[in-house]
Amino acid sequence: MTYFEAFGLEPKLVVDVDDLQQRFYRLSRELHPDRFTRRPVEEQQQALEKTSVLNDGLRTLKDPIRRAEYVLKQHGFDIGEQRTKDVPPELLEEVFELNMALEESDREQLDGFRTKFAAMLGEIDGGLQGLFAAYDASQSRDDLQKIRGVLNRRRYIENLVQKIDSSI
Amino acid sequence: MAYSDKVLDHYNNPRNVGSLDKADPNVGTGMVGAPECGDVMKLQIKVNPETGVIDDAKFKTFGCGSAIASSSLATEWLRGKSVDEALAIKNTEIVAELALPPVKIHCSVLAEDAIKAAIADYKAKEEKRTPVGAVTA
Repeated sequence: MTYFEAFGLEPKLVVDVDDLQQRFYRLSRELHPDRFTRRPVEEQQQALEKTSVLNDGLRTLKDPIRRAEYVLKQHGFDIGEQRTKDVPPELLEEVFELNMALEESDREQLDGFRTKFAAMLGEIDGGLQGLFAAYDASQSRDDLQKIRGVLNRRRYIENLVQKIDSSI
Repeated sequence: MAYSDKVLDHYNNPRNVGSLDKADPNVGTGMVGAPECGDVMKLQIKVNPETGVIDDAKFKTFGCGSAIASSSLATEWLRGKSVDEALAIKNTEIVAELALPPVKIHCSVLAEDAIKAAIADYKAKEEKRTPVGAVTA
């Protein structure tokens, strides 16, 4: 069962988080162990298993990035692996140059970069919203590929922010 | 995680850090990366057009100690090799030389990818340089 199925949702990237939370409460109540004390052991076991899927599902679907990574993974993208072939050269070039700039920066400049990266992440997240909606409408692999590219860039920038934080 | 002495040696005294002129027709540039860990690796080779031997190799890597050591070692191995010999370098040789633990094997893979990318870039330049319809002896 997919996380979407566990919540009775369509596999869409745009999710109403309040609705998700409500579904979680309702389903968790229905599956509460107290309700199963007089039921057969197999049913008790199933309820426990479903509760565990719901917990993982809530954590995954609530967060837009984790949600997108989950959907990408389900479509066969190699998410979370340390090696990936499809990083475009422009992105590598950009990240390389940013790393070079960080290396030569003093503390004040690093603060400037931190501000800049925060703005970039904000822009990326805004852009993702549009890409999510586009995928929900098209269900096309091309749109997933675009999202994947944006997530890679986001990950790189997050890593740069961490680098600044650990060096200051 | 404890790094091996060889990784530490390359990490503390990286060989051949720097860059070569990307526009030089005899220079091949490979840029690869792993978004998951934030690594970016640039590796460049300079090929002697007369002999086909790699005269110089430089790298610059942003990443963990193993990624730096893998690319540093790669540049050491590349120098003096022909392009074809360089293509035969396998990531497993880097793993063995640096005693990389399983979780760091992807760093050696990245280095092998960088070597291949640099050579591919060099070869693409070489093909472009050979004029179409040129008379060859």
